Amino acid sequence: MDTTSPAAFVNGEILKMFVGRRVRTVVQAQREEGGLLIGQSTDGHQLTIKGASGAPMSRYLEIIGIAEPNQTIRAEVCTDFGENFDPAPFNGLCKLANGQMKHLFL
Amino acid sequence: MPSQSTNPAEGSGGGGFPKARNAQTLLPLTVKQIMDASQTSDDKSNFAVNGLEVSTVRLVGRILNKVDRVTDVSFTLDDGTGRIPVNRWENDSTDTKEMADVQNGDYAIVNGGLKGFQGKRQVVAYSVRLVTNFNDVTHHFLHCIHVHLELTRPKPQGNANITTGTPNQTMFRDGMAYNQGSHLNQASTFSAPQNTGTGTDMSNLVLNVFHDPSVINNDHGIDAEYLSSRLNLPEDTVRKIIQEQVEMGHLYATIDDNHYKSTMNG
Repeated sequence: MDTTSPAAFVNGEILKMFVGRRVRTVVQAQREEGGLLIGQSTDGHQLTIKGASGAPMSRYLEIIGIAEPNQTIRAEVCTDFGENFDPAPFNGLCKLANGQMKHLFL
Repeated sequence: MPSQSTNPAEGSGGGGFPKARNAQTLLPLTVKQIMDASQTSDDKSNFAVNGLEVSTVRLVGRILNKVDRVTDVSFTLDDGTGRIPVNRWENDSTDTKEMADVQNGDYAIVNGGLKGFQGKRQVVAYSVRLVTNFNDVTHHFLHCIHVHLELTRPKPQGNANITTGTPNQTMFRDGMAYNQGSHLNQASTFSAPQNTGTGTDMSNLVLNVFHDPSVINNDHGIDAEYLSSRLNLPEDTVRKIIQEQVEMGHLYATIDDNHYKSTMNG
């Protein structure tokens, strides 16, 4: 029953507010650069993911990890959400989960 | 929803749970909501979320620390908002098969009973299904939000508290919560300014048309012109009310931006 480290739903924009904290997001894997994964967030930002090299390209990946500065996440868990994930509802969820409905999540 | 609001006595009393749902009704929840749930006084094994007694819940999260035993499987479910222990009794081979399909790290949809045992909250699962379409994860959390809004919006005590603070605007909003109980309550308790009173009545008028059986059965819904002629109200007023109701989540656009249906009975 550890509720001390919930992971906040974030998109590229909201990620900035959670530097140093645990977050969860979904990115579409685009390419790898020197062991770093570059993915597109559900609101169109480019995110850098540490610790997720070898991920399948062009698929949607859920990343749970610690938010770092410069649109970067240090991944702890990486889950393949497949090719048919719909980014738009997830993006809407991120906004709701950090806005009016925050008390259901954090 | 109308069935929840047709009992003014219960509504204005504020104590009882809505009769349309009972404790067995499955509620999609986040683990955070479960941890925040209050224990109902008489029996420590019962819980209330938003003042509604809840015993059957749906959770979606990752499976951790799975332990297989002879007659049951236990694991921790982490849905990102918190973690909760889950137990699944294996009574027959389908239970065993279902539990063999999920491994640590997998996403699963868990339906089960919420229990309190020795001060700890846990879920006794009836079904544990592996998530294969990850849109289900997004959908679950949006569903949690939707149900939370449905259950909190018509709450009479909340209305009374808010309306004492800022009567003008919230009165107008509360009127849209199609809750006859609180509506009657307000009318007698507060002297509502004339204009907001009319606004409330008008939004109720508009919603009533949407809930007319002939309209509910119409796939395309109805447009502002129809409403305007039926209610004998100016079309821009009707459009404004529609827009507000769309923002409140009571109406949605169908074939184009001009046709709307109610989200109730949908």
